[in-house]
Amino acid sequence: MAVQDVKIVLTDVQAARKNWSLTAQGTLYEGTHLISGAVGSGKSTLALMLAGLFPPVSGQIKREDVSTLMVSFQYPEYHITGTTLEEECSSWGLDPFSVLTAANLTGKKTENPIKLSRGELKMLLLACVLAGNYDLLILDEPFSSLDCYGKERICKRLSERSRGITVIFTHEQTIFPRIDRIWEIRNGELCDRGGLPEALRHWYYAPKVIKNLISAGKIPKNITPGDLLEAACRT
Amino acid sequence: MIRFDNLRYRSLAIDALSIGKGITSVIGRNGSGKTTLLKLCAGITLPESGTIIIDGNPPRKDEIGWVNEFPDRNILFATVHEEIASSLRFRHIPGDEIEEHVMSCMNSMEISHLGKRSMRELSGGEKVLVALAAALVHQPRLLVLDEYDSHLDTDLTEKIEGILRQSLVTYIIRCTQDMETAARGDNVICLINGKIGCAGSPEIVFSSLVDTPFYPLAWRCRT
Repeated sequence: MAVQDVKIVLTDVQAARKNWSLTAQGTLYEGTHLISGAVGSGKSTLALMLAGLFPPVSGQIKREDVSTLMVSFQYPEYHITGTTLEEECSSWGLDPFSVLTAANLTGKKTENPIKLSRGELKMLLLACVLAGNYDLLILDEPFSSLDCYGKERICKRLSERSRGITVIFTHEQTIFPRIDRIWEIRNGELCDRGGLPEALRHWYYAPKVIKNLISAGKIPKNITPGDLLEAACRT
Repeated sequence: MIRFDNLRYRSLAIDALSIGKGITSVIGRNGSGKTTLLKLCAGITLPESGTIIIDGNPPRKDEIGWVNEFPDRNILFATVHEEIASSLRFRHIPGDEIEEHVMSCMNSMEISHLGKRSMRELSGGEKVLVALAAALVHQPRLLVLDEYDSHLDTDLTEKIEGILRQSLVTYIIRCTQDMETAARGDNVICLINGKIGCAGSPEIVFSSLVDTPFYPLAWRCRT
């Protein structure tokens, strides 16, 4: 991946609510970052802060050379403005046919997005989001509600992103795109676990299948299903 | 036994199916009819034709618990205790009995510390636990869980798995997009475009899906 100056620098960032706080420090460079953490640890809040949609209580988040930015919210309903799928695609400035083909929804262009199943709606939103080429792309739980084919399709699309920063906040356990760096929120702090594969040894919230491979001494090169399978088959 | 006979609702069509006791996982592609099937099982919607019979009764004549993907949508009351007690209060059960059931349910789920908390202050995972407690407190014969795990972390998913296994509920039907969770069920139903693609034990159903991404990755990666 070409080295560019695009980066997000977090300096002494603090966020707090009643009974909850989060501190964050570090730099996210170009590439794909995965951020995990327990429910309620502050992943969605951090996603909003990285996007500049929620101010930290103290500290600074600097987005350097980021001129285009997109956030995909956890709940796809928040994005919907059109009353038909066709209208929704057009509202993003996109060609409905190509988006609906990417979302596997070609037969439903005149339907109301709200009438779609939750997974179909998520797929529609992600197809719209991923049609753009943003310097910073933040995805909050992109895989929730998607079926396994949908997850694979999104991972493939994410792996095709050739530039910019992608930050994925997820609880997903099995189907991931290729990841460059892993972070996690533990005890109210954003922790940088490093690049792969070394990060896998220190990843507290690692999915069980990855933990099992590591305890068997089979360290995957990355965490795509293909990488995990290759590690499992290693003798 | 839960029996489906000539069931029709929109694009869902099940000619004949029986589900045994235990946990049944419903899987399938987005839009394949999973939530529709679960709502019919719970009696939230009625079939256009055909029947669902749970040990001799249709869903609306039986005790059903329901937890959906977004527990916020089902919350009626201000505090955790009131929310869990609500289904018993609607049945006009004496107050001391309600208290006993609520405390016993919260204790067994290890959420007694949440009792006085405001529902609005809970984290997403805590809301799922409370919704599950509210669904279990009246000891339903059938518990229906619609993608309850799609926003949960591994620890919570495993905690809930333990709660479900220890519960005395006769039938649990859940849909999930996590195939490792689905594979832990006693039975699996795979829906394809509103019809039963395959049903049976996890081994039988997933053996028919070995060439698809639905096959559990943990099974492929057995070390």
